[in-house]
Amino acid sequence: MTSPLKVLTANDLAGGQVVFLSETGWSDRYADAWIFEDPAAADAALDAARAATLTLADPYLIDVAAVDGLPVPTSYRERIRALGPTIHPDMGPQAEGGALVEALQQAKGAARSSGRLGLIRRK
Amino acid sequence: MFQYDAIDAAMVADRNAEFRDQVSRRLSGELTEDQFKPLRLMNGLYLQLHSYMLRVAIPYGALSSAKMRALAHVARRWDRGYGHFTTRQNIQFHWIKLSDTPDVLDYLATAELHAIQTSGNCIRNTTSDPFAGAAAEEVDDPRVWSEVIRQWSTFHPEFTYLPRKFKIAVTASPRDRTAARAHDIGLVLRRNREGRLGFEVIVGGGMGRTPYIGATIREHLPAEHLLSYLTAILRVYNRFGRRDNLYKARIKILVASLGAAEFARLADEAWEAMDRPRADLPDVELARIRASFGLVDFRTLPPRSERFEAAKGDKAFARFARNNIVPHKVPGYGIVQVSLKGIGEVPGDCTADQMEALADLAERYGHGEIRVTHEQNLVLPHVALDDAPAVHAGLAAVGLATPNINLVSDMIACPGLDYCALANARAIPIAQAISETFADPDRAEQVGELKIKISGCINACGHHHVGHIGILGVDKKGEEYYQLTLGGSGAEDAAIGHVLGPALSADRVADAIDKLVDVYLAIRQPQERFLDTYRRTGVGPFKAAVYQDAHQA
Repeated sequence: MTSPLKVLTANDLAGGQVVFLSETGWSDRYADAWIFEDPAAADAALDAARAATLTLADPYLIDVAAVDGLPVPTSYRERIRALGPTIHPDMGPQAEGGALVEALQQAKGAARSSGRLGLIRRK
Repeated sequence: MFQYDAIDAAMVADRNAEFRDQVSRRLSGELTEDQFKPLRLMNGLYLQLHSYMLRVAIPYGALSSAKMRALAHVARRWDRGYGHFTTRQNIQFHWIKLSDTPDVLDYLATAELHAIQTSGNCIRNTTSDPFAGAAAEEVDDPRVWSEVIRQWSTFHPEFTYLPRKFKIAVTASPRDRTAARAHDIGLVLRRNREGRLGFEVIVGGGMGRTPYIGATIREHLPAEHLLSYLTAILRVYNRFGRRDNLYKARIKILVASLGAAEFARLADEAWEAMDRPRADLPDVELARIRASFGLVDFRTLPPRSERFEAAKGDKAFARFARNNIVPHKVPGYGIVQVSLKGIGEVPGDCTADQMEALADLAERYGHGEIRVTHEQNLVLPHVALDDAPAVHAGLAAVGLATPNINLVSDMIACPGLDYCALANARAIPIAQAISETFADPDRAEQVGELKIKISGCINACGHHHVGHIGILGVDKKGEEYYQLTLGGSGAEDAAIGHVLGPALSADRVADAIDKLVDVYLAIRQPQERFLDTYRRTGVGPFKAAVYQDAHQA
C-alpha cells in the first residue's frame, strides 16, 4: 500500500483563518493546497512551517485521498475545517462553491486526522 | 445592578494594556506560540476550528441594555454579525482576529465588559440564577453573593494556577436554575429555623468524561463565613488535586477518591487553621455590594393586568404567556423568558440586530436588565404584565418570540464540530433536526417539560449527562454517531443519565427522540414529566422503542 497523500495546513496567526500551503505560499483556499505525494517532502514542509512562527499558528499535516480524481481529506473533521461551519454554507471557503467543495461536502467516513492528534499530544 | 468602581476599571484597563503588549510581541515574533498561548487563553481568546474565538464574561449572567448594545457592536464590527450565548452564561464570538482583539477588549471595557475568568485554570465566572431579584421564592439576592465571589476571586494570587478550571454556582431559590449540583462548588442559600442565612455547600459535581453530582459537605454554612470557607475548600483542592493527569485534575476526582466526609474534614481543618476574620468579607463591604442590587423602581400595580388578560385573545400571545412568562415577586409584573431556540435555528445564537432589539425592549419595558441563562436563553426579569403584549410584539418582530421554554425544542447544544477544535461530532445540526421534528407547538406543549442537552464530545459543554435526554456525539470509525442517555437532571433533583444503548447514526437521532416521546405519551401518568415517567418505569419501554429493529443498532 502506498503512503497517503498529505496536505499541510495551519491557522493564519493574525487573522486566525484556516490556511493551506500552496505552490505559491499560504492560501485561504483548500482548492489551492499542494498535494504531497512524498512523505519526506511533507515532513520537511511541516518543519519549515513550524519555523514560520511569525505568520502561522498550529501547522500540521492532514491525510487526503483521491475521490473521483479530486483530493479529499479523509477525516470529516478536516473536511469541515476546509469548508467552514456546515450550518452556515455562506461562511468560510465553502461559500465559493465548485466541484471540489461539493466533493468535500459529499464525502463520507474515515477517522479523525492523525496529524491533529499528534498536535494534541504535543501540547 | 452592580457598577464597577475605579479599582475595577483600573484592573481591566491594566489587563487590556498588558494583553495589547503581549499580542504585539507575538505578532512581531518576540513571543513564540508556546509562550503566547497561555497568555491569550487567560484573556478568553481560543484558537478554534476555523478562527479565533473570544469568550466574553457576563458575570452571573447579568447584562444591562448598554452592555447588550456593546456586545451587538462587537458582533457587527469585529465578528460576522452574531454571537453565541453559552451554558456558562457567557457569550462567544466565533470569528475574531487576533490582531483586532486588543481593540475589541478596549471597546468592551467602555461598557464594563471583559474576558477575565473565561479561560485558564482559575476560578471562572460564577453561575447564578437568571431570575435573581425577580423570583418570589428566593431567600436572598444571589447576585450579591456572586459579586462577592467575583471580587474575591478575580486575579486571586493563590488560586490563579489551580490544578484545573474551577466553577462555582450560587442559587437562593428552591428551584435550581443554575445546575448547582453539577459545579465544582454549588452554593444553595437558605434560611435556617432561626432565620439566619446560610449556604448548603455542595462540592465535587461536574460533567466531562467522569460526571458526578456534587456531595453536600455543609448543610448550613453561616453566610458571613462564605469567603473563608471557600478559601479552605480551594486550599485543599490546590494542595491535593492532581496535576499529573489532565483528566483527573478536577475537584470532583479528589472528592470522589477521598470520599466526601474526608474531604469535608480536610476543608474544616484548613478552615480552623486560617485567620478567618481576615479572610471573610467585612460587613461594611457586603453592605456596599448589597446596596448595588435591588434598586429597581417597581410600580405599585394590581396583581391582575386586564391588558395582559385581554391580549390572550391572541393565540400566539396566549401561548407565549403560558410557556415563557412566569410570576414575579412584585404583583403585576412577570419574568419574560426569551428563547434563543427558534425552530431550526442554532441554539444560543443571537444576531446583532436581535441584541439591539432586546436592549431597546429591556430599556423601555424591563428596567434595563437582561439575564443570560445557563440553558442558552435570555430573560427580561422585570416586565410589567401590562407591557407584556408590547414586549411580545417587539420580540416577534426580530424572531425571538418562540414560545418553547422548557419544551422539547428548548435544547442546549454546544458549538460542536461546526466550530470547536475539540469536538468529535457536530451538535447543532442534531439540535436543528430535533427542533424541526417538534416544530408543531401544540404537540410540544402536549409533551410538556423535556430537557434535551447535546454535546459534541465527552467534555460535555452541552451538559448531556444531566439532560432528561442527553445526546453525546462520538467518532465511530470515522462517522459521527450519537449516544443517548436518559434520566439526567441538572436541577434540584440532579442526576446523571444512563446510556440507552448503542450509538445511533446522525440521521437516526431525531427519529429516536420522536420514538422516546411517543413512548412517554403512551405510558405517562397524570402530571408526570418525561423525566418522572422514566424514573418510574426505568429504561425498558424506551429502549425497546428505539432498538426494536435490532439490526439497525
